[in-house]
Amino acid sequence: MTDSQVAHLAQAETMAALAEDITGTIAAPRPDAPALPGGRRPRSMRKRLLIGVPVAAAMAVAGLIATSVGSPGQRLGPVTVGPPKAQAAVLSFTRHGRFIDVIVRDPVAGARKYRAEFARYHLDISLGLVPASPSLVGTLVYESLPAGDGGLRPITAVGKCFTGGGGNVCPVGVRVPVDFKGAASLVFGRAARPGEPYETTAAATAPGEVMHGMTYVGKTVTAVLAMLRARHVQVAHYVVENSRCMNVARRTVPRRWHISNADPWSPGEVVLWASKTWPVQVPKCASVGLPAPVPSPVASASGGAG
Amino acid sequence: MLSPPDVTLDERRRRFEELYAVNHVPILGYVLRRTDNTDDAADVLADTFLTAWRRLEDVPAGPSARLWLYGTARRVLANHPRGSRRRLALADRLRAELAASYHPPEQVGELAEITAVFRRLPEADRELLALTAWEGLNPSQIALVLDCSPNAARIRLHRARRRFAAALTQPRAAAPAPTQVTNGDFALTQYAGLPR
Repeated sequence: MTDSQVAHLAQAETMAALAEDITGTIAAPRPDAPALPGGRRPRSMRKRLLIGVPVAAAMAVAGLIATSVGSPGQRLGPVTVGPPKAQAAVLSFTRHGRFIDVIVRDPVAGARKYRAEFARYHLDISLGLVPASPSLVGTLVYESLPAGDGGLRPITAVGKCFTGGGGNVCPVGVRVPVDFKGAASLVFGRAARPGEPYETTAAATAPGEVMHGMTYVGKTVTAVLAMLRARHVQVAHYVVENSRCMNVARRTVPRRWHISNADPWSPGEVVLWASKTWPVQVPKCASVGLPAPVPSPVASASGGAG
Repeated sequence: MLSPPDVTLDERRRRFEELYAVNHVPILGYVLRRTDNTDDAADVLADTFLTAWRRLEDVPAGPSARLWLYGTARRVLANHPRGSRRRLALADRLRAELAASYHPPEQVGELAEITAVFRRLPEADRELLALTAWEGLNPSQIALVLDCSPNAARIRLHRARRRFAAALTQPRAAAPAPTQVTNGDFALTQYAGLPR
């Protein structure tokens, strides 16, 4: 498969969105808030790693799993279980052989509390919380692991939740080897306050989201606004691609334009992608940087050896 | 007037976007030529550029940037358990599109035989030959990807070519079966009837 064949496998728009999502990850300096008017909101801080589980489900499963917590003062591998008050606070730590299962009992506790609790077990693991769209609240949305991942594994539960993608396998915590070394960072989604933009979002139509089950792609702005009004959902702003292939935010767009995409923005608010034409025409400037074709693998592999 | 941190972030983002625009197709090509699992390919591509974004200051300028990315993709691929269920949400959309649009090239007859022999070579040999033939790199460039000296790359390449040529002339039955299935061996497992 040559690079020129590869270039046709994914839409330029998809590849551009990926780049935008990458530059919005936490490794970068935190980008400033929404760019209105005119700027791209770096989809920054939005799409992040991993999967999802609603708070209620996480709590329920935590209750099921965390039944054999060590008693106070008991040694769990290299660590000692703290006083009952502390260990019950926000996370539960359960020894299973060579692993400690850490279950999130209180998904809205705050990063400092989690960090303190891990530190009590001599684990350099930080948990963060970011405002998440409803179906991702309580889910693990980002993880950063030491080289070789240190053996950390998400703990999942089947059939206890819906993920944004419609699956039902959800993480409820993390399994840590008793000899875990290095630093790790995990980020869970939390409920957003009114008006607070989400930093991680599921599809707007996913179960639990405000546009769940709505068929809107290709419909006119007028039609989509009517559907949203019926659900008391507001449009935070529209995103339009300009002639330079840049996504720009607009407060309004002509009512006859078409909606191509939607994303949860904040509680009760969505962002809509609007296009003058339908289907959306991909501008020429989107496909840049295509290299010269290279020989196909097998033929050239044999040639290279000959 | 932008404050200095804004300039830095904008400048950083601009540099990444240039890097990405020129290199995302070759890097996706690199990955897809080594794994037929499109889910893995989408993740490895996203992870490679995530690494580049986080370590932008380490990415060399000019044409060497692509070599740095090849090297990074190679490490990501090696560390990515095949068929891993740990998925980057970042790559969701790309994963879906690749799953729909990618069809592994079918190889029959002599090509299939050559492919099978090639895939039975040690991983290090395969990578050297592939970087030469698929990515079109010379030994100096390969040295940058593999983080070795150009001279070492040249010698290893010479040996790899000899081993490949020898393997091609051996009867198939004499070829040792792979003891470990690693990334990129998807086609081989199909060929050899191994469990995937």
